[in-house]
Amino acid sequence: MSVSREFSNDGKQLIIAIQGKFDFSLVQEFRQAYSHIGDSQPTVIIDLRETEYLDSSALGMLLNMRKSLGSSVKGIQLINAKPDVRRILDISRFDKMFTIA
Amino acid sequence: MHILIVDDQAANRVMLKGLIERFGHSVSCAENGMQALELFSHKGADIVLLDVMMPVMDGLTTAKHLKQLSGEIHLPVLFITALDDQKTLLECLDAGGDDFISTPPEPIVLQAKLNAHARVRELSFKLKEKNEVLAYHSNRMEREQNVVSHMLSNALLENELKFGFLQTYLSPATEFNGDLVLSKGGPLGNYYIFVGDFTGHGLAPATGALPVAQTFFDLAEKGLSVATMVKEFNRRLVKLLPDDMFCAAFVAELSAGGDRLSYWNGGIPDALFIDNNGEVTNRLPSEHLALGILPPDEFNSSLSHCFIERGQRLVAYTDGVIEMANTDGNRLKESGFENKLKQFGHQDQFDDLVSSLESFQQGTEQSDDISLVVVNCVPTGLPVKQDDHSIIHLPFELKVSLTEHNIKGEDPVTRLVDSLSHLEGIKAHKTTLYLLLAEAFNNILEHNLLRLNSDIKEEDEGFERYYSERERRLESLEDIEVAIDVNYQPVDSVICFGIRSNGENGYPADEFSPVLDEEKMHGRGMQLIKNFSRYYEWKDEGQCLYIEYDLNLPSV
Repeated sequence: MSVSREFSNDGKQLIIAIQGKFDFSLVQEFRQAYSHIGDSQPTVIIDLRETEYLDSSALGMLLNMRKSLGSSVKGIQLINAKPDVRRILDISRFDKMFTIA
Repeated sequence: MHILIVDDQAANRVMLKGLIERFGHSVSCAENGMQALELFSHKGADIVLLDVMMPVMDGLTTAKHLKQLSGEIHLPVLFITALDDQKTLLECLDAGGDDFISTPPEPIVLQAKLNAHARVRELSFKLKEKNEVLAYHSNRMEREQNVVSHMLSNALLENELKFGFLQTYLSPATEFNGDLVLSKGGPLGNYYIFVGDFTGHGLAPATGALPVAQTFFDLAEKGLSVATMVKEFNRRLVKLLPDDMFCAAFVAELSAGGDRLSYWNGGIPDALFIDNNGEVTNRLPSEHLALGILPPDEFNSSLSHCFIERGQRLVAYTDGVIEMANTDGNRLKESGFENKLKQFGHQDQFDDLVSSLESFQQGTEQSDDISLVVVNCVPTGLPVKQDDHSIIHLPFELKVSLTEHNIKGEDPVTRLVDSLSHLEGIKAHKTTLYLLLAEAFNNILEHNLLRLNSDIKEEDEGFERYYSERERRLESLEDIEVAIDVNYQPVDSVICFGIRSNGENGYPADEFSPVLDEEKMHGRGMQLIKNFSRYYEWKDEGQCLYIEYDLNLPSV
């Protein structure tokens, strides 16, 4: 399983973790992971600690998610990116659109 | 039984010898104390009949020496006496005498006394034997405890308890701690802490600590999530521990920035966030059963997450803290502990807090292991792990020729990068190399061969439509070739890639806008190639994309 979704115990955070390769092959899975989030306005956290590879399609999917979730979430955080992954996010200026922590 | 008779009067010796031999015992005789000691050291004796007054060495002195020679084994010494003098009788007893026989002896009484003292001596033999067995087992136990203790301390070598942001107070009730506190930095500058409390004390919990510690260090080093950790701890402990044993645990990960905590609490008292005045600002209660109880398919590894404001500290402790009692038998309880936190609220007062806990239970025996951990939630300052950046010294060249069969439903780029990563010095670059190759490959495939239009991505649901269209067109693709050439020259440590296809159309190079609209769904690929490569160029009228990547420039 390369995309996993889990709500935190208090329901305030939705954590989506992506393992291995993050690209268009996960388009459906990734979309499902952030669907049905309810009305509680959770914070979406994308945990990239086990993401080894990503490309521009993954960046597109993240932007897509942001557009689609809009104000139904409190915010979107990209966390635990390894240095090389972090560099790709930085170069793409994702810090302007997401919280990168 | 062998009896030693010591008497300076020959008549007495002969009379007693005859009598005792008739009881079926063997007899040696000595005329004085010196002789008696000499005989005893050669032949031994089970019981000694000893005259009180003798030349050379009297009976009292002889008795003391004989008892000494006999060591741990009880040697009954019976004084032969006609005396009615109570003072001398008492002196005889003080000198180690066990009984008296009068001369001339009453044969039945003498026989009964000898038998009674023989039984006491027999008991002393048995006692010695049992003591030896006991000593053997005790030694063995000690040796085995040493082995476990050695293994445990080796297993805990990786334990890093000396961090500036970490304060601990660990006080086991017995030699083997049933509490387990583990702490280690992760590869992202993040930090992991484990506070566990096994049921019971002694060897058993110590043994349970071994697999937990090893798993903790392994997974922390890999930077995996606390959920993955607790699942693995539980899986191992369920398999290992007997049914009545388990391990309550609080496991947490602090982000490198010190601003985010994810945790799992199964059976540990509420962990606390406190501010600089020691006031509790948040409680992290136990939400799960302890580790080692539920089978893996019923185990709940879901975490709680919280964002941490600056200046907060995390306090985690085992129940030994709140269950400690004072001399009146009153327990400290949560309320008492939290009062102490307030009283010694500042970070610099940790030692005072500990002294105050110690003085609370002063005069009582500590009944449970005590562990208290305080983590100051600041940026950890821990290093971010870097891959080996050593440079490869051999030039190489690699040609990969792909047809539609290698592309449909396959992912040639990941395979190629995975293979290259086995080369020394490449692994550290695999994420970036993947990015470059994937962008180049997908550009060639999607535009030159599949003739897809990226504008679709901008429409509603366009992203999914684009990729399902990609899938559809890829299915009907025939007679195509994609060639990937990889060339490395150690002189300038640059890897060059050429990716070309036999598609009819070249890449519409003029479509690429160097200015990126950040909200836009497409156009990011070429931008990334531009940013991460040393040099790139569309060649042969857009049929071939050539990219150079410099291994010396890992950071852009």
